[in-house]
Amino acid sequence: MEARTCAPARTPGAGSGEIAVSHASVGMYDRDGKPLRLVEDCSFRAERGLFTVLIGPSGCGKTTLMNLIAGYIGADRGAVKLDGVDVKGPGWDRLMVFQETALFPWMTTLENVAYGPMVRGIKTMPQIRAEAGALLERFGLGEFKNRYPRELSGGMQRRGELARALINDPLVLLMDEPFRGLDAMTRQLMQEYLTHLFEETRTTTIFVTSEIDEAIFLADRLVVLSRAPARVAAVIEVDLPRPRRFEQLSSARYAALKEEALNLLYAEAAAAFAETGAGADIKEAFEKRHAAD
Amino acid sequence: MKSLASTAAAPPANAVERGTPLASGIKTHLNRHFDLVVGAITLIAFFLAWQFARPLGIPGLSAVEPPTRVVAASWDLLSSATFWTACYKSALRILAGFALAQIIGVPIGLMMATNRMAFHTLFPITEILRPIPPVAWIPVAIIFWPTREMSTVFIVFLGAFWIVLLNTIGGASTIEESYKRAALSLGSSRWHLFRYIVLPATMPSIVTGMVVGMGISWEMVVAAEMIASDTGLGYLLWQSFEINAGAQVIVCMLAIGIAGFVSSALISRVGRLLTPWQGRR
Amino acid sequence: MSRGALSFRAVRKVYDPERKAVLALDGIDLDIAPGEFCAIVGPSGCGKTTLLNAVAGFETVTAGTIQLDGRTLATPGESAAPGEDRIVVFQHGALFPWRSVMWNITCGPVMQGRMSAREANEHGMRLLARVGLKGCEDKYPNDLSGGQKRRVEIVRALVNDPSVLLLDEPFRALDALTKSVMQEYLLELLVQFPKTVFFITHDLEEAIFLGDKVVVFTSRPGRIKEVVTVDIPKPRSHEVLTSARFLELKAALSQVVHTEARRAFEAGEKEMAR
Repeated sequence: MEARTCAPARTPGAGSGEIAVSHASVGMYDRDGKPLRLVEDCSFRAERGLFTVLIGPSGCGKTTLMNLIAGYIGADRGAVKLDGVDVKGPGWDRLMVFQETALFPWMTTLENVAYGPMVRGIKTMPQIRAEAGALLERFGLGEFKNRYPRELSGGMQRRGELARALINDPLVLLMDEPFRGLDAMTRQLMQEYLTHLFEETRTTTIFVTSEIDEAIFLADRLVVLSRAPARVAAVIEVDLPRPRRFEQLSSARYAALKEEALNLLYAEAAAAFAETGAGADIKEAFEKRHAAD
Repeated sequence: MKSLASTAAAPPANAVERGTPLASGIKTHLNRHFDLVVGAITLIAFFLAWQFARPLGIPGLSAVEPPTRVVAASWDLLSSATFWTACYKSALRILAGFALAQIIGVPIGLMMATNRMAFHTLFPITEILRPIPPVAWIPVAIIFWPTREMSTVFIVFLGAFWIVLLNTIGGASTIEESYKRAALSLGSSRWHLFRYIVLPATMPSIVTGMVVGMGISWEMVVAAEMIASDTGLGYLLWQSFEINAGAQVIVCMLAIGIAGFVSSALISRVGRLLTPWQGRR
Repeated sequence: MSRGALSFRAVRKVYDPERKAVLALDGIDLDIAPGEFCAIVGPSGCGKTTLLNAVAGFETVTAGTIQLDGRTLATPGESAAPGEDRIVVFQHGALFPWRSVMWNITCGPVMQGRMSAREANEHGMRLLARVGLKGCEDKYPNDLSGGQKRRVEIVRALVNDPSVLLLDEPFRALDALTKSVMQEYLLELLVQFPKTVFFITHDLEEAIFLGDKVVVFTSRPGRIKEVVTVDIPKPRSHEVLTSARFLELKAALSQVVHTEARRAFEAGEKEMAR
């Protein structure tokens, strides 16, 4: 057997690609033809082998930023580089795991996972099938490889999608709120699962979420985005030791990090309210909390 | 008025239905039988009224041959070659027209949905022609096509065509963006995108178009045969009417109904084979 | 505080959809004292909501008894009709969108003649002011934000002066920031209007922050796995979230909850494989 039976069999800890977003700006026109600025002069780095989480107030342009990195849209100004090379269009070196699950409903789990290698024609079909089957086995989906996505639970679908991405051995994994829509407990289990997987493969990951617990639990580095248009408001180094265990969610360090991130988000949300009047709840929350302090 | 507070905090209906407790489970079971019984009673009542319409003097219905006579007539008709030839002819026309509608409608629909240029070229003409009922085409079809057979098939084709076209366009232009994006990221070429994403993603809509289209095909074949043909079930129906064979008219009607039902069931079966990833609904 | 003692004795619930008996709840023995805030945590499908529905009078039990202040609410073959002594606040909200906030709040007591329209209005206004919603009384529910709606709903429940407040993940759909403030509002309100609270949540932090007692359910069939008394004095504010005692409780409970969640998850997948 060749070295790469199960896809993410890179030398552990070596890391993969590095994404650098520098001074990127993205705008578009809304339905009435008014220009909207979604991302404004945004710069950050997702370092090799690190788990970078983008967090920010809802509607702040997180998804736009991810689409930019994935290459689905282009920047008006600035650049996105993967290992120093400009990103032009989508590619299998940066794979996206989507918000709502995007397993192709008309393909079985195995066909979904085999899709990337198949269209790229890098191996023979029997090879690809064997590899996809082995990967699914590892993801606990061995019994489900001939099922359609509809017949899987939410948690299984997310794992299937991870497998579909990882079989291609991407340099960077992009995840846009991938656990949205799962119930709280399944979500926590999926977070643990992803953490284990990451700690094993060290595939550079950029992960978008609006859940603060999820963000801190997963991240090596937390990039707090500003209100729209998205800029980087602050970067928090999450120094909780790896391997991460859910027990760490009860540590004092965790609580302090959460407080720090919450305060930053409050401040952004309150400022957004002052500018646009959106998010009355959060503004109130901010005032109430500070009145109590 | 005692329970108003609870109405004030009324649960959404599903809060109560989340599970079926044992007692109400039995009740639903009984209800299902009750539903069947009610349906059967209505059916029997209908046949009785039909049978005894003449002695009872029920207006309208008394002009129709009673069921016993229909049964007798159907025996005669079913053992005649005329009837089976008519069935065969009609079925052949349906098959030809319907198949043509798929063969032409699906590709054009896919093209219109995926190619902006194609859409803007073809859209105006479809918008002008589509609202015209296929039956209204019969005279033109008779003039235009060299044989009556072709005219009939053309009308059937037209009936299914618009539905197929619209469903294909609708399905193919509302494909979830994330599927396409995922496929592009994974390295798909344009052909891959079409073959593995656009086509299967549109398939459920195409199947819907087929099922509806089949229903319309039968309507069209009957209408066209009545006017433009001298064979087929539609013709036989009209012929029976002209020679005043009332019972035979009813038999023809029933035969067309059954044929429509069977072909719809057949198409649904084919549809399930084409979209195995969709649950049975 | 003399009202609102809720007791569960050997409660059991079997669902029988199409003859496939599913045991949803088994051997639930629990006492909630008047004025106590009892938070229930457990994996999805563990029967928490079934239990709440049985208290509310939406569902029956298969065995056992549920009593409120000595009155039987549910026992096999019998269940008390839903009433204003046990008000439910639902996950997705049930405000009447076609009526004003104030009408929503006061309709219950006014229509039952327990208060005059004027009394109810005054009471409603006072409560709205307490939760930072002064000036919202004439708005329609849909003009309010998610957090504001939740508050109106809690106020509506309190105006009815129930013996028990039944809350089914009321803050689930809210973002982290709004949620934390809603929790503080709820605690403040309960200081002023003490009530027995039966609170279902998936969020352990929320359960400990709000609860006098946290009850952990096992995955299906729902049984009581652990009951922990939260000995952090009330009133509490968000500072306790970083206190040593809070973190200690959270660590202990998360172990239990996590084990159950994993079991439920694995059982679920095994079931699907069949």
